[in-house]
Amino acid sequence: MSYDLIGIWVAALFTLAIYSFLYKENPLYRLAEHLVVGISAGYSIAITYDIVVGPKLVDPLIAGTGWVLLIPGILGLLYITRFMPNVAWLSRYPMAFIMGTSMGVGFPLTMKAEVLRQLEAAMAPIYAAGMPWHIVLGNLVMIFGTLAALIYFFFSKPHKGIFFGTGSKVGIWVIMLGFGATFGFTVMGRISLLIGRIQFLLGDWLHLIK
Amino acid sequence: MKRTVPLIIVMVGGILMMIQYFIPHQASQAVFDYYTEWAPIVGAFALVLGVGSLTRVHFHRIRRRSKNWPYSLAVLIPLYAMPILGLMVPVSLWGGMESPSIFHFLFMHIQVPIQSTMFSLLAFYIASAAFRAFRAKSALATVLLGSATIVMLAQVPIGEIFGPGLQDVGLWILRFPNLAAKRAIQFGVGFGILATSLKIIFGVERNWLGGAGE
Amino acid sequence: MSAVNFWGKMLNVDRRWIFLLIGVVSIVPFLIPVGMPLTTTTEVESIYDCIDSLGPENAIFLAFDFDPGTDAENMPMSVAVMRHAFFRHVPVFMTAYTPLGNGMMMSGFEYVTNQELPGCYTPVDYADWATYRDAGIVDRDGLVAAWEADGHSLPENSVGWVFEGRDYALLGYLPLFHLVILGMTSSIEAQYPEDSHGNPLVEMPMLREHKSLREVDLALTMAGSSACMSWIIYGREKIGLPIAFGVTAVMATDYFPFIQSHQIIGQMGGLRGAAEYEVLMERNGVSATTDKAFTGMDVQSAAHLLIILLIIMGNVAYFAGGFHKQHLMKSGR
Repeated sequence: MSYDLIGIWVAALFTLAIYSFLYKENPLYRLAEHLVVGISAGYSIAITYDIVVGPKLVDPLIAGTGWVLLIPGILGLLYITRFMPNVAWLSRYPMAFIMGTSMGVGFPLTMKAEVLRQLEAAMAPIYAAGMPWHIVLGNLVMIFGTLAALIYFFFSKPHKGIFFGTGSKVGIWVIMLGFGATFGFTVMGRISLLIGRIQFLLGDWLHLIK
Repeated sequence: MKRTVPLIIVMVGGILMMIQYFIPHQASQAVFDYYTEWAPIVGAFALVLGVGSLTRVHFHRIRRRSKNWPYSLAVLIPLYAMPILGLMVPVSLWGGMESPSIFHFLFMHIQVPIQSTMFSLLAFYIASAAFRAFRAKSALATVLLGSATIVMLAQVPIGEIFGPGLQDVGLWILRFPNLAAKRAIQFGVGFGILATSLKIIFGVERNWLGGAGE
Repeated sequence: MSAVNFWGKMLNVDRRWIFLLIGVVSIVPFLIPVGMPLTTTTEVESIYDCIDSLGPENAIFLAFDFDPGTDAENMPMSVAVMRHAFFRHVPVFMTAYTPLGNGMMMSGFEYVTNQELPGCYTPVDYADWATYRDAGIVDRDGLVAAWEADGHSLPENSVGWVFEGRDYALLGYLPLFHLVILGMTSSIEAQYPEDSHGNPLVEMPMLREHKSLREVDLALTMAGSSACMSWIIYGREKIGLPIAFGVTAVMATDYFPFIQSHQIIGQMGGLRGAAEYEVLMERNGVSATTDKAFTGMDVQSAAHLLIILLIIMGNVAYFAGGFHKQHLMKSGR
C-alpha cells in the first residue's frame, strides 16, 4: 500500500469523523478535534524553527558572524518568563518592543491606506459624458450612501432632525443592502468549503468523479 | 522596571518608527533595516507563549485525571513529536519534513483534512439557520433578505435562467450600496486602529500589561 | 392536525434532516454534472489581463495567506494563478503569512507539479541545474534548450519545465509578515537569505533581476483573513506595488471599496472567483480544461437554490402559522 493511498484513507476517515458530529458528538470527533490542535501547534514550532530561528539566529551565531543578533534573541527568550511568576514582568519587554514598533511603523501607512485613499476615492464624480444611467445612480448611492451610513454610525448625537434623523434612516437602508450582499456571499463561502470536502471524498477517495 | 520600562519602550519604539517613515536619511534607513531584521526573530519566540499555555492546561488535565483526560494526550503527543520528527530525526520515512515522512503525513493527511472539514460544517449550520432563524420580520430585514437572495442567485450560473439582468443587478448591489456601507465601516475601522495605536503608544491604554504579575 | 400545529411541526423539524438535505444536494450535482456556463466579471478579468501581459522579464509574488480551513476556496485560485504565471514564464516568488500557510504553499505547488495530472508542470530543483548556472546559462530559453539538449524530456502529462530559482522560488513563512513585506520593499534577500529548501537566494537569477518589491510587477495575496490588508498597507502604500486579492467569499464584499479606489487591481471572491479565472484560462488556451472550482459551481447553484427555498419555507411557515403575532403579543405590541 503506498504512502499516498494510506494518506487518502486516513484523511477520509478523519473527514467522516468530523461529519459524524452532525449526527451526534462522539469519541472519534473528539479525538480529531484534539489532534488538530496538537498537530497545528507542533507544525508551527517546526516550521518557525526551520525557517526563522535556525537560519536567522542560530546559524549566524554558530558561524560567529551575527553576535548582534543576541539582542533580539535574548529579547525573544524573555517571553518564556511569562511562566515564571516571580519574573513574569520581564515578558512585557519583548511584547512592548513588538507592539510599539509595529504600531509606529503602521500608523502613517494605515492612515494613508484605510483613511486618506478611501476619502479620496469617495469623492468620485457623479456624472461624466456618456455614463450609463445605472452608473450615475450607483455613484449617487455610493457617495450619499457612504455619508448616510457614517451618520448612522455616529452615536454621539441622537438620531433626530433632518440631518441625523433622515441621514441615519437612509444609512440603515444602505447598510442593510450591503449586509444582505455580505450574507449572500457568506452562504456562498460556506457552501464552497463543503464542496471542497465532497470533491475530496468523491474524487480522491472513492474515485466516483474526476 | 516592571511597568514603566515597557511603557517607555512602547512610546520610544512607536514614535521612532513613526518618524522614521518620514526621514529619507541613511541613518533612518539603517534603523529600519535593523528593525526588519530583528523583529521577526523576536516575534518567532511568541510561539512559546501559545505552546506553554497549551502544555500547562493539558498537562494538568492529565495529572488530575480530569474528565476526558486521554484526549489531552492527543494534543501533547503531536505537539512535541512534530518538531522532533521534522527537525531532529534524519531525513527518511521517519524524519524530515518532505513527503514521504511522518511529519508530512500528520500535516497533509490529518491536520489539513480535519481543519478543512471543521470549517465546512458551517455549510450545514447555515442551511439550518436559513430555515429556522432568517425571518423577514421588518422592512429592513426584508431588504436584507431580498438583497441576499439577488446576490446569491447572481453569483451562481443557474441565476442566469432568471434573466440576464439578475447578474447585473447583483453586481450593481455589490459595487454601489455594498461599497458605500463597507466604506463607512472601513472609515470607522481605520480611525479606530489609529486611535488605539496612539492610545497604546502614549500609554493611555495599558491593558496589554496585564497577565504578567504586578 | 390544526394549521398552527402543522406549521409548528415544520419549524421544529429536527435539524439533522436539513443537514441530510444539504448533504444530498451537494453530492448529486457532482454525480450528474451539468457544467452551466459562467460569465466573467471585470474584477477577475483585470487580474487575468495583468498576468497575461507579463513575461519572463517580469516577476510576481504569490502569497499563500490562508490556512487549511479555507483551502477549498483559496487553493483553486492560487493554483490557477500559478499555472497562468508558469504558462507565461513569469517568475513567481511564493510566500506564506502563517506556518500553516507554508504547508498550503507546498501543497499548491505539489498539485501544479503533480506529474500524474494532465496539464502539470515539471519542476527542476535548484541543485539539479547548478552546472548550467555555473556555465552562465541563466536566461530561460537558453536554459530550456540546454536542459533538453542533454536528454531531458517532458513527461507525458507535462506542458512545461519550471526551474527553481529561475521560474519559481518557494520563500515560505516568516513571523510578523507585515514587517517582512516592509523589509522586502528594500531587499527580498535581507528577509529571505534562503528559500524554504535552504537554497541561497542571492545566487538565484530571479532574485538578481528582482532584488526588492520595487522591481516586482504584481503581488497576489490569497487570503482567508485580513492578512491581505498588510499587502495594501505595507506594499501598495509604501512603494506603489500593484496588488490583487484572492479572498474567501465571506470577506470579498468588504474589499469592493479598495477596487473602486484602485488600491487593488482586481479581486477573486470565493469559489466563483476561482471558477471565473479557470474559465478565462480555458477560453484563452492557457489550460486545456477548467479545474475543481468550475466543477463545483453546479453544486453551488443547487445549494443556493436550496438555501433560498429554505428561507422562503421558513418564513411562510412562520407567518402562516401566526408565530409573528405570538412574538408581538409577548413583546406587548
